[in-house]
Amino acid sequence: MTNLSFGVLILPLLGFMILGVLGRFMSRGAILAVAWGACGLAFVFAALSFLSMIGTPVSGRVSDPTIYTWVVSGNLQISFGQLFDPLSATMLMIVTGVGLLIHIYSAGYMEDDPGFWRFFAYMNFFIFAMVLLVTADNFLFLLVGWALVGLASFLLIGFWYQRRAAVAAAQKAFVINVIGDFGLMLAIFLIFINFGSLNYQDVFGKLSPSALGGPTATAITLLLFLACTAKSAQLPLYMWLPDAMEGPTPVSALIHAATMVTAGVYLVARANPLFELAPVALNIVAGIGGATALFAATIALFQLDIKRVLAYSTISQLGYMFMAEGVHNYTGGIFHLTTHAYFKALLFLGAGAVIHAMGGEQDMRKMGGLRQRMPITFWTFLIAALAISGIFPLSGFWSKDDILGSVLAQANATQNPWFYVLWGVGLLTAALTAFYMFRLFFGIFTGSYRGNVVTAHNEEEEEDEEDGRGEASPRPGHHAGRVGYYDIYEAPAVMTVPLVILAVLSVIGGFVGSLALFGRPQWQPLANFLASVLAVKAPTISFALGWLSTGLSLALALGGIGVAWLLYRGGFEYKESRNPLYQLVFHKYYIDEILTAGLVNPLQALGRFASRFIEGDLLDGGSRGLAFLFRLSSTGLRRLQTGYMRNYALIILLGVVLIVIYYAVRG
Amino acid sequence: MPLSAYLIMSAILFTIGSIGVLARRNPLIIFMSIELMLNAVNLAFVAFSSFLDSADGQMFVFIVLTVAAAEVVVGLAIIVSIFRTRRNIDVDEMNVLRG
Repeated sequence: MTNLSFGVLILPLLGFMILGVLGRFMSRGAILAVAWGACGLAFVFAALSFLSMIGTPVSGRVSDPTIYTWVVSGNLQISFGQLFDPLSATMLMIVTGVGLLIHIYSAGYMEDDPGFWRFFAYMNFFIFAMVLLVTADNFLFLLVGWALVGLASFLLIGFWYQRRAAVAAAQKAFVINVIGDFGLMLAIFLIFINFGSLNYQDVFGKLSPSALGGPTATAITLLLFLACTAKSAQLPLYMWLPDAMEGPTPVSALIHAATMVTAGVYLVARANPLFELAPVALNIVAGIGGATALFAATIALFQLDIKRVLAYSTISQLGYMFMAEGVHNYTGGIFHLTTHAYFKALLFLGAGAVIHAMGGEQDMRKMGGLRQRMPITFWTFLIAALAISGIFPLSGFWSKDDILGSVLAQANATQNPWFYVLWGVGLLTAALTAFYMFRLFFGIFTGSYRGNVVTAHNEEEEEDEEDGRGEASPRPGHHAGRVGYYDIYEAPAVMTVPLVILAVLSVIGGFVGSLALFGRPQWQPLANFLASVLAVKAPTISFALGWLSTGLSLALALGGIGVAWLLYRGGFEYKESRNPLYQLVFHKYYIDEILTAGLVNPLQALGRFASRFIEGDLLDGGSRGLAFLFRLSSTGLRRLQTGYMRNYALIILLGVVLIVIYYAVRG
Repeated sequence: MPLSAYLIMSAILFTIGSIGVLARRNPLIIFMSIELMLNAVNLAFVAFSSFLDSADGQMFVFIVLTVAAAEVVVGLAIIVSIFRTRRNIDVDEMNVLRG
């Protein structure tokens, strides 16, 4: 089991190194063989160790071998070990499984890209970093993995580095993530001060309310959660994720929807013993989660770029996961993480297939009627949209329902009115989710094709895009331009097969959840499997209340779909509204503009000032002045070097005479 | 003869040698002057050796002679190669290191 999980870690790294060094000389087939091979073998190893874990009794399921000792310094000892327990096994399955599917899909999507080998090298690197993140057995290597996935994300967002917008988005993502990394580092320092160790088992073993003061636990967990808000794009550090859609669509699916952004959810679940000691922090987690879920869902309502709709939807769904974790339902968070990985990856890959077929077009106003042209994409997208809306019996239904139920249970147990508000927020978000997903769905697939309709507004928009992306740099491999309706074809098999597999998973993925609602409380495989790690007893809910919550969320989701059906079934028609509320939401609450004016511009001005005056005049001036001084003195001194040998000989002689005289006089 | 006579002789020879090094421009003459200085020192060594009744001074003379021979070999080789490149061996003309 140990060697297997080590293989999961090391294979993608090998793949990355081979591709990174030799990739540019390799044929496409060889690149795919290495990339798919590394990822596929990693998945096989992960699956084998997962199966063997199911076969072992619960007590023997945790293994924590030390692979090598990295730092020994005083009482600080850091060794690199792989913690392999049910939680990391679940995460490994998602990371390598969804990763493999997206690797396969990318072969079709990135087919014409000149950076083919670079793309797969980065993808393998990402899988390596993510595996490191979820299998690290101490906080320091968690931080290493945490930073490396950030790097992979940065590289892949900026993959089309010729485009200014992509580079700017990559920088934005990196900078915002560094804020989170900083929080994680501070949390690690606090943990080390209080426990003298960074190993999970040591830290969680020493936990007790008496060993750790409430304020310290709150500080540690809030700092950890700060890291989570950055990585998982929660309020207030969510801004980078929508911009991250500048990357290739498979990257958006893998990193910015299915796996990397869920690292925060994983971290909270991993550190659940700490969070349990800090009820205040948990309430903040739940509150931020709920606020983000609603906030992002409202923005998603009126977006026109299909990937941006999905991006805001991801933020919103991540909010759901944190909401669950904030009410002690860590299993629910991980459960939603799993199902979300399936259907959100599917949505992104479906959107990618559409974008690919449309020659790089992402604007929903120029789509429509694609159902007949792309039937497989149509059906799989429909399944994913139903799953994310939480329609029975697809996977999203089970996990969303689990979360809403646990929020209601917490509200009942604590009688805190805010939890009822949170529950209401969750329900409202469910309705909004269903609405915007089906607005997107109808916009892409129904009605008539709008691609070659040129309106004044379109033209204007085109020019904006040109400005933003720089001259003559369309997406490589995707020639921007209008595509006729009959030039649109279904994606090749290499892309549709992953779609179908993910669609199947989106349908059946929810059955590992609980069937308590259907009178079978003992059927909850995922919760039982994770119980040894996430041993927290969340408040439970009565049968009737459970059905109330489920029924309401289902009714609201159906209502959302119904409204979307009424408005958009005949095709999406864009009407610009002057309603100030609409304008506010359409412009994403002007958050980006406010930040640019309030934070980015002053900082850039400060940077320009620093580079001009502090670095230019002060530091450079100082060193230039010093150089001038030396030049001045040397123009005088160089006259001593006459070049005449006899002068030197004379000076040597005089020196010797002086030395002799000195000794003679001194005696 | 007293020791001082040898030492005075040695000092005179050394002075002549050093003046030769400083005053002459022909490197061959400079070389000869250096030999003169070395042998002045040798004379002092031998004189002290005899005066102190010890063989140490004579041993140093041998070492000095060896080094002088080696130095002449290298020095003459340098002079020859300078002459080949510049057709001139006046030391005052060799001032490319002037600051």
